[in-house]
Amino acid sequence: MLKGIAASEGIGIGKVMIVEEHSLEYTPKTVTDTAAELARYRDAVDKFCEETTEQADALRKSTGDKEAEILEGHIQMIKDPFMGGEIEKLIEEGGQCAEAALEQMCNMFIEMFSAVDDDVTQQRAADVKDIKSAILAILLGIKVVKISDAPAGTVLVAKEVTPSMTAGINKENIVGIVTETGSQTSHSAILARALEIPAVLSVEKATSTLSSGEQIIVDGSTGDVVTAPSEAEISEYSAKRDAFLREKRELENYRGKKTVSASGEEYELFCNIGTPKDATKAMEADGEGVGLFRTEFLFMDRNALPTEDEQFEAYKQAALVLKGKGLIIRTLDIGGDKDIPYLGLEKEENPFMGFRAIRYCLKNRDLFKSQIKAILRASAFGDIRIMFPLITAVEELRAGKALVEEAKADLRASGIEFNENIPVGVMTETAASGVIAHLLAKEADFFSIGTNDLTGYTMAADRGNSDVAYLYSPFQPSVLIMIKRIIECGKAEGIPVGMCGEAAANPMMIPLLISFGLTEFSVSAPSVLKVRKNIAKWTKDEADKVAEKVMSMATEAEVLDYLKGIV
Amino acid sequence: MVSKKLTIVNAQGFHMRPASTFATAMGKYGCDVNIKHNGKDVNAKSLMNIIAACIKCGNEVEIIADGPDEQAALDEAVKMIESGFGE
Repeated sequence: MLKGIAASEGIGIGKVMIVEEHSLEYTPKTVTDTAAELARYRDAVDKFCEETTEQADALRKSTGDKEAEILEGHIQMIKDPFMGGEIEKLIEEGGQCAEAALEQMCNMFIEMFSAVDDDVTQQRAADVKDIKSAILAILLGIKVVKISDAPAGTVLVAKEVTPSMTAGINKENIVGIVTETGSQTSHSAILARALEIPAVLSVEKATSTLSSGEQIIVDGSTGDVVTAPSEAEISEYSAKRDAFLREKRELENYRGKKTVSASGEEYELFCNIGTPKDATKAMEADGEGVGLFRTEFLFMDRNALPTEDEQFEAYKQAALVLKGKGLIIRTLDIGGDKDIPYLGLEKEENPFMGFRAIRYCLKNRDLFKSQIKAILRASAFGDIRIMFPLITAVEELRAGKALVEEAKADLRASGIEFNENIPVGVMTETAASGVIAHLLAKEADFFSIGTNDLTGYTMAADRGNSDVAYLYSPFQPSVLIMIKRIIECGKAEGIPVGMCGEAAANPMMIPLLISFGLTEFSVSAPSVLKVRKNIAKWTKDEADKVAEKVMSMATEAEVLDYLKGIV
Repeated sequence: MVSKKLTIVNAQGFHMRPASTFATAMGKYGCDVNIKHNGKDVNAKSLMNIIAACIKCGNEVEIIADGPDEQAALDEAVKMIESGFGE
């Protein structure tokens, strides 16, 4: 079995077709008849544009406008007056051959795009590479294998899937893609997902280990590539494939719908995100807002604190993407376990019980205030809410809120707009916050239960330690009692209570949360439709019965045993 | 010379499609059109230069047009950016 990056979900079973790369080598030379060379270059570009237009038309039919536009962009790029002009200048004035002139300019842009610290711009480097290879192939008179002729049941195996290659892909015939390079966000991955073809990327030496015609199985959900599969493996994966396709069809029915239980109670279904870019993914996944925006990315992998302006831009960007939908921003949650030299956090014996998160922020008021001011300024652009992590005592919430008021006064004095009524809530993720939830609820505008830490702190168990990981379960009666208590205390004071830990997406936890009265579920983007479907299964009455039974049980084993039987 | 400061409002910023329609639209004008971003002037008629500038949602830019049909070019540029490129 080969292993790679799972880049496009699903299972494909078929025969390998290796897409070989052609050598595009040439000997650069100087030309004397520059007019003829220029004409040769222009003919090649014309031919390229013609072929690309054909491919784009084919792609538009098979996949859609968005993907066709990527290819049409190639025409715009090569026709760019600046780039095209410079290439022609190199030929006309520099006496370079068309190949060398093209390569020099393309390489310049490939380098320039690759150097920008931005995924989308870096992707454009792949486009320029693609343009360069295609035009070089035309200039050198190399015939490229036609993927469009691949027979039904083909698994494409290539170094990388270029946008122009994708254009030739017939969805009916290509059942899987395996490449040697690429990541979750690369062109190959995006196009494979758009085409809904299972894909595993970054499989080392795939084009040399696999040979054309051999049967393989591509599992784009796990990143496994099964070579020489047995009869049993083929039937096992066929069943898995059918189940996957069935579930996918079912889930699509929930897109664009409200999140509502079988008895009609409505819920908010939000996403957890780590960067402003993830906000776009959350929207594409049909999330109704963001229940947890982790802000650590702004502080990691750098040498100095981010400025208030820099933070403001990031929060504002996420707010604009969400177009008025809820956006809960968690203030800096960081401690001695993270290596951020410029923060001066000392290594400590027990960082998870030490100087971290709200504790650190309240002692480093300048840092905290600049983050809060940045969040407040961004609140003029959307429905932003502030959330403090690791609260264990009412004083911490009060001190945090006082700082928010101070920051507001500063902004008011400078005449900067913000939402005066910005909600300030507590991430209830410590055992202490669960025990004093009735007190916190009187002073917080909302709760959000972070089940990962709540489980760890309640059970005093580190899930990373395999000797104690068996204790780490949100289905432990103690954790369930905490969750129930936090939700009920919130309800008693009339504040919304969400959950942003992994448990919120667990089908076994969902009936309990419905029964306890959770108002908002915040999950990873790919889980949105699944959770919506799971919520729709339950009526409040049925969920109450399940919860009553579960809360009467004494052990985690009993709870799991029972819940596994009913979902 | 005419100019105007603007904020990019469409979620994806100046990505491929907007950059491409923008560069094509500006290419029609005889005047020079530049996008000032992060203190650098970017040739608004060049898709490749716009992409390299990596202009994101929320960024402030200044459009500067200079030449005979500068006002028309600026008006169209402003309209395109303010409408979020119709996204």
